[in-house]
Amino acid sequence: MSPSILRLAPASAIAGVFLFSLDMAAAQNSAVPADLVIKNATVMTASHGTIQHGSVWLHNGKIAGVGAMVSAPAGATVIDATGKYVTPGIIDPHSHSALGDDVNEATSPVTPSMMMIDAFDNRDKALYLALAGGVTSELLLHGSANMIGGQAVVIKNKFGLSKEEMLFPNAPRSIKFASGENPKRVYGTRNQLPSTRMGNFEVMRQAFEDAKVYRREWDSYNDKLAKGDKDAKPPHRDLKLDALADILRGKLLVQIHCYRSDEFLTEEAIAQEYGFKIRAFHHALEMYKVGGKIAADGTAIATFTDWYGGKYEMWDGIPWNAVMSMREGVRVALKSDSNDHIRRLNQEAGKMVHYGGATEDEAITMVTLNPAWIMGIDDKTGSLDLGKDGDVVIWNMDPLSTYARAEKVYIDGELFFDSSLPGFGTTHFSGVMHGSGFGAGEDDDDEQGVN
Amino acid sequence: MLRILFVGRFAALRTPVLATSLLVAGSSVLLAQARMVDTTPAAGTIAITGGKLLTITRGVIENGVVLIEGGKIAAVGTAASVKVPKGATVVDAKGMTVYPGLFDAETRLGLSEIGSDRTTNDTIETSEEIFPQMHVYDAFHAESEHIPITRYNGITNAIVAPAESDTIPGQDSLIQLAGRDRDSMLMVKDVALAMNFGEAPKRGARGEAAGPAGGRYPSTRMGEISQMRQALLDAQEYMARRADTSKKPAGEEGAAVPAGGRGGAGGSNFNLRNEALIPYLKGEKPVVLGAYDGHDVETAMAFAQEFHLKVVLSHLTRANDILDKVASYHVPVIVGPIYDLPGPNERYDAVYSVPGELAKRGVKVILASYNVSNSRNLPYSAGFAVAYGLPYDEAMKSITLNPAEVFGVADKLGSLDVGKIANVVIADGDPLDVRTSVKQVYINGVAIPMETRQTKLRDEYWPKK
Repeated sequence: MSPSILRLAPASAIAGVFLFSLDMAAAQNSAVPADLVIKNATVMTASHGTIQHGSVWLHNGKIAGVGAMVSAPAGATVIDATGKYVTPGIIDPHSHSALGDDVNEATSPVTPSMMMIDAFDNRDKALYLALAGGVTSELLLHGSANMIGGQAVVIKNKFGLSKEEMLFPNAPRSIKFASGENPKRVYGTRNQLPSTRMGNFEVMRQAFEDAKVYRREWDSYNDKLAKGDKDAKPPHRDLKLDALADILRGKLLVQIHCYRSDEFLTEEAIAQEYGFKIRAFHHALEMYKVGGKIAADGTAIATFTDWYGGKYEMWDGIPWNAVMSMREGVRVALKSDSNDHIRRLNQEAGKMVHYGGATEDEAITMVTLNPAWIMGIDDKTGSLDLGKDGDVVIWNMDPLSTYARAEKVYIDGELFFDSSLPGFGTTHFSGVMHGSGFGAGEDDDDEQGVN
Repeated sequence: MLRILFVGRFAALRTPVLATSLLVAGSSVLLAQARMVDTTPAAGTIAITGGKLLTITRGVIENGVVLIEGGKIAAVGTAASVKVPKGATVVDAKGMTVYPGLFDAETRLGLSEIGSDRTTNDTIETSEEIFPQMHVYDAFHAESEHIPITRYNGITNAIVAPAESDTIPGQDSLIQLAGRDRDSMLMVKDVALAMNFGEAPKRGARGEAAGPAGGRYPSTRMGEISQMRQALLDAQEYMARRADTSKKPAGEEGAAVPAGGRGGAGGSNFNLRNEALIPYLKGEKPVVLGAYDGHDVETAMAFAQEFHLKVVLSHLTRANDILDKVASYHVPVIVGPIYDLPGPNERYDAVYSVPGELAKRGVKVILASYNVSNSRNLPYSAGFAVAYGLPYDEAMKSITLNPAEVFGVADKLGSLDVGKIANVVIADGDPLDVRTSVKQVYINGVAIPMETRQTKLRDEYWPKK
């Protein structure tokens, strides 16, 4: 019973052979097929270019083959995607979906012990809308009211499954920082610290000074324990300082909401002073002014394509920012920060062809592999490479076009969305979706301005 | 289908033949003033040749010629049928797409500069709910930086309307997106009356109208309708009395001004609010009636019919349940924003498909951005509607000819036809695709410098390496 291995080539080459070809509309089996082959597609890999008439083979939920030909067993389920495009799942590194109204613990400018998972509502409709737009992973972040906000949740968008099943396994921890107008407005309007950018950064420095002392106390205690000192007395455990100390220890990916070029420089200087790295600046509308410097620090950006002007610190935002920063060597991701935009990040990537002349391969990387790097999950997803998770989208046409629609979305090799299905098009969801809270629309974003 | 021709073929079309050669053609003076552009037509003829013309009224013309003279379109046709006069400035648009300037049927352009900064916002007067005597042209800031940024993507005309948190917030203006000064940019000062019904205008509700807890009148839909009905009845009575008064000797009426609005000083009969409503009560101009939910559309339409208003419906993003009924009204519909989120029980594409579903039912569909800084994305809204069922030709009309017709300027705007204002766009591909770049915009036949505050920042910081 050894499975015969077939070489799967474009349809023309294997016409008449063997495999039962599943009609696309009928491929609604929610069980994960051991082997799934999507053939005859334009395959945008995000890591090694685009393959015309290519195939993608998923084996037990992982990518087992990508190329003009793949070696899949005879029993594989085959989807003929002639005329269609295949990409890795879209990844949004900046979302506040499914957090209800619990995005900002705006009662203190330093709240690093807030765990966004405690607010995560896995039945929020925003997750479904994103899934229908081809989004397979999201970084659910604390808002930007606080200089040091809370710790993010990384999800796989397996809409319909339980909360636990939607968590991205073993994803690194991320923490949200903010800067600029939002913290100073939120606290300044209450006549509290901070009400200026000086205040913003003072609050941050003080937090890290406190964390240094706390970390020393605990390191010293742990040293004593390691040396067998049974009389060592544990210091007081403080959740807030625990989290800050972990930042100093480099255990958290630091994600900073920041618009202005001078603030990128200040943030980098503070990070250097306290010995941690900044993973990414989010929004980062003025990165085009200092891209070379920030690229040297190894910090990425997660930016809007063409949003600007909502507030003064967004006034110098230009739609060429992403491509200009990329040309300066910055790793660039696009993100939604909105329950609306998350539904068409593929189109947002398409705008990068218009604004600055990105190649289509560069553009697709901005919504797949680069956001995966920002979230620290690029070894598992974000591109069509052997061994990675089977997070794959089939599009009716080039996903960078305005006319593109996500037709099928697979996560870990399992079908979660199929636009040809009646009803919602979901494969796992039944019951009642919850309304979207914060960030439900642009107006809310504009009014609150602290996401 | 036109759009099929474009799919996946952009790289081949992307030839930078155009913009530089155009700017040489007599606009070096204009480069210094990219924000305010003198659109007084120059003498001579401009001939745009070799492009694919999307005429809107007469289909697609491959290898077409557009002649511009005196700020107007002088000829449109194939290379074989249109003779380029000697001495014309020839613009080679080979490989390019040429189409009429796009028309955004609702924006706040010129009313808001920086969203969060109240001092730069004049979007709505919320101290009362019924303010037909508010004219957006009194606030319209022609020098807004958003205007060049919007026209950079091929939008040449727009309706400027007040925000939505009053039932009757004021009258809209129609603008050209270039001109030497405000007056030259205002095409029609009071082009329509804005009306809103439903959640947004409630007092004590969310948004700009939010008041102290508990709100004030009207805090419900009943309140909104009752207040509007009273206002229109007052205006009708005013209109009747005025007509009556005009037959009698002056002074006989005294101070017997009907209620509603603030009366004139010294017992004057003249009442700004009632005066403002007259052309709309007479059905001389359209009211743009904004409502999102199906049941709100029904209520608002019933009210409008009661007063025989000439209606253009607006929004309808949660009106899927009454689309047949909407078609039976036989009124045009501005749909959107198409990016509105669907309702709780609706499929992900419930809003995306509304333009297509309405068009299928014979409704004249218009798309609008309802925005300021995102108005430049108007063509992509139309493209998105195509992805979900709106025929391509209808999508192009929805942002050109249809709004021109509805706002009474189809003799001047909306298509590549002889005699119309030469608002013409040249782009390197399908106007509705996000990957396409506009290469040149003409307004009044004047080549507009393709320069904005944003391109200046781009050029200042463009990577050297």
